[in-house]
Amino acid sequence: MSDTILRLPAEAKYADELDFLASADRGQRPANWRLTPRMVRIFVLGSTPADKLEYPIAQKWFGDPAIVERAIVTLASDRGLLLIGDPGTGKSWLAELLAAAICGNSTYVVQGTAGTTEDQIKYSWNVALVIAAGQSLNSLIPSPIMTAMQQGAMGRFEELTRCTSDVQDALISIMSEKYVAIPELKDDNTVFARSGFNLIATANSRDRGVNDLSSALKRRFNFVHIPIVTNKKQEREIILFRTQELLQRQSFSVNVPPTLLDVLLQTFADLREVSNAATSEDTRLESSLSTAEQIGVLEDAVLYSNYFGESQLTARLVARSLVGTLVRRLPEDIVVMSKFWNSVIAKRSEEQRGDWQDFLVGGQEAMQTIQK
Amino acid sequence: MTHTETLSLLNEQLLSAAQAFAEDASGLSDLLTRFVQDVERAMREPLDIFPVCHHSPASALHMVRRLQTQPPKVIYMELCEDMLPLIENLRDCKLPVALHAFAAESSTLPPDALPVMVVAPLTEASAEYQAIAYCLTHPETELVFVDRAVDYIFQWDDDWKRDLEQLEAEDEAVERENAGLHGTAVGVTVGELMPTFDEFLHFLLRNSNTRYFAEWWDQYVERAIINADYATYKQVMVLVGSLLRHLGRHTEDVRVDLLRERYMWTRIKQHMHQHAIQPHEAMYICGAAHVGSEVEEFGTSSTLIWELPPHTDTRWLYGLIPSSFAAIERQFSHPAGTVSLAEGTWDKSLKTEKIKPFDLKKPDAVTRKPTLREMTRNPHVLAEFLTQPPAYAAADKEQLLQWCVQIVALARKNGYLASTADSIAIYETAILLAQMRNRQHPTPYDFQDAAITCLEKDRTPKKRTIAHLCQILLGGDRVGTVGYASLPPLAQDIYDRLAPLEVDLFAKTNQRALMDFKTRPDRRACSEILWKLHYLFGNLVVRPIVGERKLGHIPIQESWDVLIGKHQREIIQLGYEGVTLEQVLEQRMKALAFAENATAAIALKTAEDALIYRISPRLVRELGLHAITLLKQETSATDAPDIFQRARRLVHYYRTQPGGLPDWLEALITTGYAHYAAMLPQAFADMGTRPEQIAGMLGFIFTLESLALALGCQRNQLLLGLQGAAQNEIPPDKLGLLWTSEWLLGLRDIASMREFLTQILSDALRLPTLPQYLNGFVLALNFAPGIAQFVVELLSHIFGSVTDNTLLMWLPSLILQLRQHHTILQPLIKEASVVFPTSLQGFMNWQSPWAETRTPVPSLQTTISPQLAEVRDHLLVAPAATHAIAAWLGLDLATSLTDTTVNSLLRAYPESTNALATFIDGKIIRA
Repeated sequence: MSDTILRLPAEAKYADELDFLASADRGQRPANWRLTPRMVRIFVLGSTPADKLEYPIAQKWFGDPAIVERAIVTLASDRGLLLIGDPGTGKSWLAELLAAAICGNSTYVVQGTAGTTEDQIKYSWNVALVIAAGQSLNSLIPSPIMTAMQQGAMGRFEELTRCTSDVQDALISIMSEKYVAIPELKDDNTVFARSGFNLIATANSRDRGVNDLSSALKRRFNFVHIPIVTNKKQEREIILFRTQELLQRQSFSVNVPPTLLDVLLQTFADLREVSNAATSEDTRLESSLSTAEQIGVLEDAVLYSNYFGESQLTARLVARSLVGTLVRRLPEDIVVMSKFWNSVIAKRSEEQRGDWQDFLVGGQEAMQTIQK
Repeated sequence: MTHTETLSLLNEQLLSAAQAFAEDASGLSDLLTRFVQDVERAMREPLDIFPVCHHSPASALHMVRRLQTQPPKVIYMELCEDMLPLIENLRDCKLPVALHAFAAESSTLPPDALPVMVVAPLTEASAEYQAIAYCLTHPETELVFVDRAVDYIFQWDDDWKRDLEQLEAEDEAVERENAGLHGTAVGVTVGELMPTFDEFLHFLLRNSNTRYFAEWWDQYVERAIINADYATYKQVMVLVGSLLRHLGRHTEDVRVDLLRERYMWTRIKQHMHQHAIQPHEAMYICGAAHVGSEVEEFGTSSTLIWELPPHTDTRWLYGLIPSSFAAIERQFSHPAGTVSLAEGTWDKSLKTEKIKPFDLKKPDAVTRKPTLREMTRNPHVLAEFLTQPPAYAAADKEQLLQWCVQIVALARKNGYLASTADSIAIYETAILLAQMRNRQHPTPYDFQDAAITCLEKDRTPKKRTIAHLCQILLGGDRVGTVGYASLPPLAQDIYDRLAPLEVDLFAKTNQRALMDFKTRPDRRACSEILWKLHYLFGNLVVRPIVGERKLGHIPIQESWDVLIGKHQREIIQLGYEGVTLEQVLEQRMKALAFAENATAAIALKTAEDALIYRISPRLVRELGLHAITLLKQETSATDAPDIFQRARRLVHYYRTQPGGLPDWLEALITTGYAHYAAMLPQAFADMGTRPEQIAGMLGFIFTLESLALALGCQRNQLLLGLQGAAQNEIPPDKLGLLWTSEWLLGLRDIASMREFLTQILSDALRLPTLPQYLNGFVLALNFAPGIAQFVVELLSHIFGSVTDNTLLMWLPSLILQLRQHHTILQPLIKEASVVFPTSLQGFMNWQSPWAETRTPVPSLQTTISPQLAEVRDHLLVAPAATHAIAAWLGLDLATSLTDTTVNSLLRAYPESTNALATFIDGKIIRA
């Protein structure tokens, strides 16, 4: 199956690890959980010798362990979990890992958009069946969340704050009463959540204020803030891990020279500094400069070098990809980027030389190409 | 059972563990053997080595037990030896306070790093404070600090500067209240154990599910040993110390540690030798990591001592400054709340153990004499002890419940929507977190995480976050106070002199002082002190609410915010600079005025300040004279406006004083007059000199001219200066200044200026330069208010004749310019109100005064009576009478001028003759 599916969900991808952890798990589990909270933690954050496991478990999410611990504990409690943070900080990835580890299914997902309706959260009807046989449980189409309730699994709600307030509030009764009433049916018209059900929602802190959560909904969720990774060592681990994973789909492995990775990390750190110091939106890049962006840049560069280049990653290519990825608005972004390139990068190239010199030239070339 | 036997069991266990993990365990086994050897050696040593960790309640508790059961004769302690005299002053301080060393003079330290400071903060829950308090209350026990003197910190360790920079950088990032109490000081402490080797620390924390070293220590060491027996305490501490020393520290840090250890052992042995102390009579308190030292001087059995290196010439001053938990945490990079938690554990343990700590305040009354816990006779005990989780007190559960309730209440108070449901959720979450982290019971860190998870939403409603509230709940910050007797003389003097204010100068909160000098004239002196403090610290230490200080101002009432208690360190630090406030002020002012980059304006400002703050006339004179010297050397007019304003203010002030102008100010006026007059040609020609600066120069010259001339200056200097200036090409914005000056001296009349500007107004090509010309005239109002009428005329012309399109473009800059020089706006408006009618009706028949002046003025000649004309003609024919009057007036016309020139002059300007005629005629008539 893995040959044909572009991206496997976490529970399929790490099925071996999950099975192993379940077999090694001796502790008491919360009702309907496949693993104990401790094992969920190990699954997400990787094992240490102190855990005394036969096989080492790799780390899959990088960041403050306390965030993961708090998230797991929240899911074991009565409240829903809301992961909040800047785009590209790994919220959805964490949500997926947690759902996979806890209930073995991370696909009960509702994607929140401005057009999401209450039907997509609760249930809708198969119109043809309704016309033919009338309203019954047969003609009902349960939403992923309703399915999760029936299964006692983790429901996921992506980008909660993109939905309008009335749609968001449909979650209140699901979160507190833990059932969905179906008034259209005469009998058997309530779907109760089985134990083990909970919700993992994600929200983008940049959208804050667009559709703010009501206080009633807020108190049914525990908020866990996921910060942008600024620790270089951690960021390096994330980038390597994710890029390698993404490129395995193209079935080739990557060998990123460490010096080149340093250049990339440093450039992003500098860009963030410049962006924080900027006073207006026009003097700031539109991109969030998150770790995900860096992964994107690196992936782009590796793919280019493999298919069009000399199958070797060079500083010039990375610079080209970086400019290409981050310049989105014309001409604002190119102005910001050019200013940054000719001051900060030029200075670094002068001081540190090495890869920086090629990096400088590559970026300048890319900007010239865009401007043409 | 000997210690060796006990330890060999541990040794075996460690080695078998090592072998189980690696095939070739020799490297590891060496290390493990080393740990055991360190423990063995420490236990064998006849001098009782007491290993401690900084701010560890367990260490403090064991110290109390040890001292109460076996009082030693001498206590050697790992603290800078030159700080020892300070401990006497601890008696009237409220902890936490810090022992403080300060140096501002040094030939070895880089000048830009001065002054340098060292702090050694003390909290109650620390072994060192308990030992100090014991020695102070039990004089039979002698306390000796044996660590290197503060001077060596800067000799041995080059990293201190980098550390300070790091501290400063962190400061900008995190602004915590009271965290800056230590300023930019280097911190020293007893028993520093924090690993400096990042990989090791990372590994340690990851494997223990903890986030900070302090948390690891609390979980895995502190709780385990706090209720252990003394021998176990000692062994565990040495073992952990040895582990951290050999694995957790960078080689560079160990290098300094080695030097310190050689120093300490040398000092101990020297003291023992000099005072004939036997090793078993003394105890040595040092960081657990120092026990595993590999220096040859280690141990009382060896007689080896180190020849100590010499001090540098850095002059060190010592004192006590207030400290706070937040400041200690910042100084030693602990996470916020660490010291509060330690203090909480200490209090709790004291209660459960029913032990009375040593205290300097109350008499030493021991409720129950504790017994030193004997080692249980079981060889497995240490090994087992180390592998079992510590038992927790039953009170812990009660405490957790209480916290859950209290944090919700606190959160509500701070704007969070929190309810009882949250208390339950927090409790549940805390228990779950503790389980997941392999803990028997939630620690304060787990509780804090749980509270944040359940209460913190997407935004903070008020000032405080949940994390912050948790810290407050778990103990909060505590700020120490240095008592009156321990203050330096200068600070005591300030406290004494501010006593009439009747406010609490030790309080950490804002104190409001209201002063009505009519009813309480004695408070005038307090006001003086407050103003002086305000000069030194700005609004930091004292803040005026009502009241001002300027030359000649006599206040009736003043109101102040006094924050001296909160900023005690600043006051104490002043004490290092001098004995009285005035002395410090004098030094600072002199340093400012005599600095290399000082200008005349700076020197004059300090002179004025010295006068305002009533330091001493001698200082004012000295600074003033220095300002003159600097003025003479100056080649630019940058500070001219400032100097002009100050000189004018000083002259006005001194004129009201009984003594009149002092000699230095007179000298300043004459020097300034001559200096600026001589600089005029250059200033007008130099593109870099702005018109405002020239206006300042001319202001000085003309405003103070009469005084300068009276003091012996020659107007000739000014005339020459202006003539020189006129020879160059004058830029439009300076022309007005030059012409106004010439007009003041009678070298130019209004008509010629008017004509020139009328030409520009009518010349479309030159019209855009008009605002620049106007600029010069407007600036000239500074020193020639008489030109106001002409400026009003010019403005009226511009508004009358220039088209709106052009005018609108000029208006903003004109308004901005006028706003900048508010002093010139006043004469301008005054003049305009005189010139223009005040009512609409007045405009009906209004004619501008400048239009009137153009109508020929009726000559005196026509009005003179025929009788007078006759007298005048007589005078012209026989000028002897005129000459005589001239001679009487002091002019020798007869010799200096020929008759013809006189005649021609008199004919050309008949007014004087006419006047004389009237005068004589009047006399004749009267006669």
